[in-house]
Amino acid sequence: MSRRKILSTAVFIASLGLSALLAFAQTSTPAKPDAAKAVPQGEKQDLAAADLRAIKKPALPEFHPQQPKRIQLDNGMVIFLQEDHELPLIGMGINIRGGSKSEPENKAGLVSIYGSAWRTGGTKTRTGDQLDDLLATRAATLETNGSALSTFVSLSSLKGDFDFVLDLTNDLLRNPEFRQEKIDLAKDQIKTGISRRNDDLGQISGREANKIGYGARSPYARVPEYSTVAAITRQDLLDWHARYVHPNNIILGISGDFDSVAMEAKLRSLFGNWPKGPAVQVSPVPITPPTPGIYFVAKDDVNQSEIRMIAAGIRRDDPDYYAVDVMNHIFGGGFSSRLFSNLRTKAGLAYSVFGSVSAQFDHPGLTILGIGTKSGTTAQAIDGLYKEIEGMRTNPVTEEELRRGKEAILNSFVFEYDSRVKVMNAHSNYEFHGYPQDFLERYQKGIEKVTAADVDRVARKYLDKNKFAVLVVGKAADFDKPLSTFGPVTTLDITIPQPGAAAAAAGSAPAASNPEGKALLAKVLEGAGGAAKLRAIKSLREKSTITLKAQGMSVDADMTQLGDDKVHMKLNTPGGEMTMVVTPQAAFMSMAAMGDRDMPSSQRDDQLKALRRELWYIAQHSDDPQFIFFAQGKEKVGDIETLVLDITGGGQQLRWFVDPKSGHVLRAQFQGTSPTGPATEIVDYSDWKTVDGLSLPFHVESSLNGQPNMSAVISSYEFNPVVDASIFEKPAPK
Amino acid sequence: MRRSFFVFTLAIMALLLRSSAPAQDMASFEKRITVKVLKNGLTVILCERPEAPVFSFFTIVDAGAVQDPQGQSGMAHMFEHMAFKGTDRIGTTDYAKEKVALEKVDRAWAAYDHADRKQTGRDAKEVAVLKTAFDNAVEDANQYVIKNRFGEIVEREGGVGLNASTSMDSTQYFYSLPANRFEIWAYLESARFSNPVLREFYKERDVVHEERRLRTDSSPVGKMIEQFMAAAYTAHPYGRSGVGWPSELDHLTAPEAAQFYRKYYTPSNTVIALVGALKPEQVFPIVEKYFGPIPSGPKPEPLTTVEPDQFAERTVVMREKSQPFYIEGYHRPSDLDPDDAVYDVISDLVSQGRTSRLYRSMVRDQKIAAGAAGFSGLPGTKYPGLFSFFAIPLPGHTTQEMAQAIHEQIERLKNEDVSDEELQMVKTRTKANLIRQLANNQGLAIQLASSQQRYGDWRELFRSVDKIDKVTKADIRRVANKTFVAGNRTVAMIENDPAPPKAATADKQKEKH
Repeated sequence: MSRRKILSTAVFIASLGLSALLAFAQTSTPAKPDAAKAVPQGEKQDLAAADLRAIKKPALPEFHPQQPKRIQLDNGMVIFLQEDHELPLIGMGINIRGGSKSEPENKAGLVSIYGSAWRTGGTKTRTGDQLDDLLATRAATLETNGSALSTFVSLSSLKGDFDFVLDLTNDLLRNPEFRQEKIDLAKDQIKTGISRRNDDLGQISGREANKIGYGARSPYARVPEYSTVAAITRQDLLDWHARYVHPNNIILGISGDFDSVAMEAKLRSLFGNWPKGPAVQVSPVPITPPTPGIYFVAKDDVNQSEIRMIAAGIRRDDPDYYAVDVMNHIFGGGFSSRLFSNLRTKAGLAYSVFGSVSAQFDHPGLTILGIGTKSGTTAQAIDGLYKEIEGMRTNPVTEEELRRGKEAILNSFVFEYDSRVKVMNAHSNYEFHGYPQDFLERYQKGIEKVTAADVDRVARKYLDKNKFAVLVVGKAADFDKPLSTFGPVTTLDITIPQPGAAAAAAGSAPAASNPEGKALLAKVLEGAGGAAKLRAIKSLREKSTITLKAQGMSVDADMTQLGDDKVHMKLNTPGGEMTMVVTPQAAFMSMAAMGDRDMPSSQRDDQLKALRRELWYIAQHSDDPQFIFFAQGKEKVGDIETLVLDITGGGQQLRWFVDPKSGHVLRAQFQGTSPTGPATEIVDYSDWKTVDGLSLPFHVESSLNGQPNMSAVISSYEFNPVVDASIFEKPAPK
Repeated sequence: MRRSFFVFTLAIMALLLRSSAPAQDMASFEKRITVKVLKNGLTVILCERPEAPVFSFFTIVDAGAVQDPQGQSGMAHMFEHMAFKGTDRIGTTDYAKEKVALEKVDRAWAAYDHADRKQTGRDAKEVAVLKTAFDNAVEDANQYVIKNRFGEIVEREGGVGLNASTSMDSTQYFYSLPANRFEIWAYLESARFSNPVLREFYKERDVVHEERRLRTDSSPVGKMIEQFMAAAYTAHPYGRSGVGWPSELDHLTAPEAAQFYRKYYTPSNTVIALVGALKPEQVFPIVEKYFGPIPSGPKPEPLTTVEPDQFAERTVVMREKSQPFYIEGYHRPSDLDPDDAVYDVISDLVSQGRTSRLYRSMVRDQKIAAGAAGFSGLPGTKYPGLFSFFAIPLPGHTTQEMAQAIHEQIERLKNEDVSDEELQMVKTRTKANLIRQLANNQGLAIQLASSQQRYGDWRELFRSVDKIDKVTKADIRRVANKTFVAGNRTVAMIENDPAPPKAATADKQKEKH
């Protein structure tokens, strides 16, 4: 049982990127060979060469893997069926065109959240939790995912449970519900990922290399931010589903222990009546090659540098593909490649070293070389990679290297189709990308024809030192030479934009109000008693009883506010009367027992921000072009389907949930502060009463990251009282 | 009446059918599997899987980082790297001369290292001279080397997935080849374990040290787990770094590695599983031809050290720039213990998927964690290891909240019976998951070799399902109450601190060669 256990442990651990904790391995990534003037290995002979020649190698038996059956329904759905009776299991994958490449930039993360909440959010008649239970008791899985080009539904079950799971799948395809609570859960997961994305060297270097390669805003490189995730609504997911999930947009593959004829009939009857939808237009993404130069990301808590060299790559239908593949093998693929032999084995500079020109099906990949080396050999490793690039250009590949590369590819070719499900997936993949179904055979022939001259030609074409951008992530103080030795250095700032902070600057929040947003704001102001009345408020006094949930403590509070940046609060605490004052000039607390104490500036800023979330403040700025009011769709608060209004302005972002009938703001959501750092604060308003013609809440409940924080019961509001300005001044020291 | 009886019978039948599926498979495997123990003690399992003309293998040597000699942490892993360096026939242009040159390298290293590490009277000039002598000796030996020849042969013959790994418990080697290369495989695999040449040893040590920097020093969680283990174990080598403490790693020598090899890489200490389009009548004569001549050696004596009972809770707090992380572990018996299956059920119950207790309580309902699980396997399972729980807090939530939420679930395990539905779900899933693991050559080779090596019988893989089937609610409560007590607990956590206090932890490795 030990192995089983270790493997299941490995799954958890791998999910954390911790696979190394269980075992240390021989290689992490394919490595590369060396190009320098080393004697080509083939010219050196060992006794093994003769030993191997003496060993009989029977011809590989003729092997014609079973091909899947392809059918196309009248509504356009393509289905591949592949029988495989080895085990009593059935697996199915449904590939749907349209992925994150097509999501709006200001909603980066949409497809990821869609891919998660589609399944967890359940169907019209079954919640995601119910699906979890139904599937778990049958040891079946049904999952949804999003990727750059498509979204994907996959299922696996024992054959006896397949019909049941297929029914659930059909329900999920046709009647998804995207329950809000699961959207929120998916958002929490993404936000956790955002908050942790600078913890790991490898993750930073991979992400930033992609951004350098495609441009930071390219759909192939950009990553979700707090603000783009916050902008995603349930309506966005419903819209996505309505737009993309149509039979004519689907390629379905099924393999396992079934009878093809019966299964075909079953799938035809299940999906045949599904009406066709509009065809999906995927607009091409412009690709520009990376800008050469030296890029640096500072990370001080490491003793190793991750280095990446980045240039343009190719598409898989490029005529150069075959020669490039052979070159990749010689240059950076496997144990005998030049990079591996020279930089790892010979120089001992790295455990992980790799490099290849990547070829993608639908867009040019990137050429990326990488090495991880101790901080003190960073410059040496850069020189080493440069030398290998130069070596590919100046030292032609030898016949021996060519043979080695081609043999490795051709002799392992059988592993491309050594299981029925692999064969089917390959067909499904070619269909998806519009590649010929015999692409694999063409590939084999293409590789066979590659000559040494072809490899030299593509090496000179794709491995050009002057075209590479060089990225280094690490601790500069420990480098062997400053990076400026290699040229002017561009330092990249990877600070994670905090939720709400400067979202507009990041270009991720809505750039302008929408008409629905302005209309919704008008409704709120109207519901509260009218914009004119609200704008007339210059000062305010509010008395309340505040209960702090964590401490289980209640205090009476008497608050006076003047303008939009001065507040004075008197609290009756068990320890005596306490006064808090916050203005841009002074922020302090006073208590008889402790005298005056200044507040930390962060706390002062928080308090000032709170004043700029007040309804009367927003009313003052309802026509301010600096303020953006953006209606986002609907969301339930309690039993009420509220209208969501996102407000950007006053240095923050704020979300209101508005009762469509009364115009009351039932809930406000924004970035607050908890004792442990930034936290999502939700404030719920209720118990509405009219005072001086204004409709106001008399009960307020707030939570931080879902934990109850405080409640307030208001006993009185007084508008425009006379306020003595001196109460906001800090008393002179006694 | 009649009608409902019929429905009831159907339901029972469905259940019976479901649970009988794996048993059928065990019978079918029985027909396809041949096990042979050679005279020298080497065990070879062959499982025929003729679908495609390829095969995979998995070689397990019953020696892991636990066997690293005192002062030589990292040795098992270091030797694993050396098993890719070739033999007296693979990777050398002239072994007779190379052998002399390599002996000179070892002597030069010993002299240099001795002079360099003198605590008093160290003579920098002498050290420099000896360093140069060492570098020259390495250079001299390198002239005979055909670099990475072993890997090159495997790749040219069409090998894929060539790799190896070292855990605390064992070391394993694996790749896949086209079926017509079987004899070439036998030649390569027998050669590397009967005549390994430890060439390029001292340079490979640097490569391994880079592996340590990658996985441990520069990875916050990797660093934390190393500290977690060191805190959880007082006496047993499970508490040592598997990749090696930096100072020990940098001073491993080729003669020490050779000694390690002679002691542990004996045929009786090794199991090989082969899965694919191979037939016994073809395989075993070739296996006999290549592996038969390897001299037998004694099976090493088991480790004497047993971790003493833990009686006080231990806590490790790392203040780092990275985000918080929480893990706690409780000592549990080894995987030979009769309660092993109970721990498996607990792990499944608390961790597996969105119906698991930790997911539902911490991720779905309390919304405080991005993920949480409880599992066995750290640091290993062959000796008494840990049952660990970890959780990844959502932004704004604390490690204290993680601890509290995990402890609530532990208390439930201790004080409440699990429901019939939950227990049945775990059992059904165990069976289905076993079947899913049988679907590819490499996966199957791993399973068969591991069971054979650990339990002396590959059938244990299938019997483990029966053991899980026998686990009762009472077992779960009993084992939870026995294991999950505060005195038996070690806790490790990362606390986020944007400017952690500086400790003198700079990488002190000197450039020695």
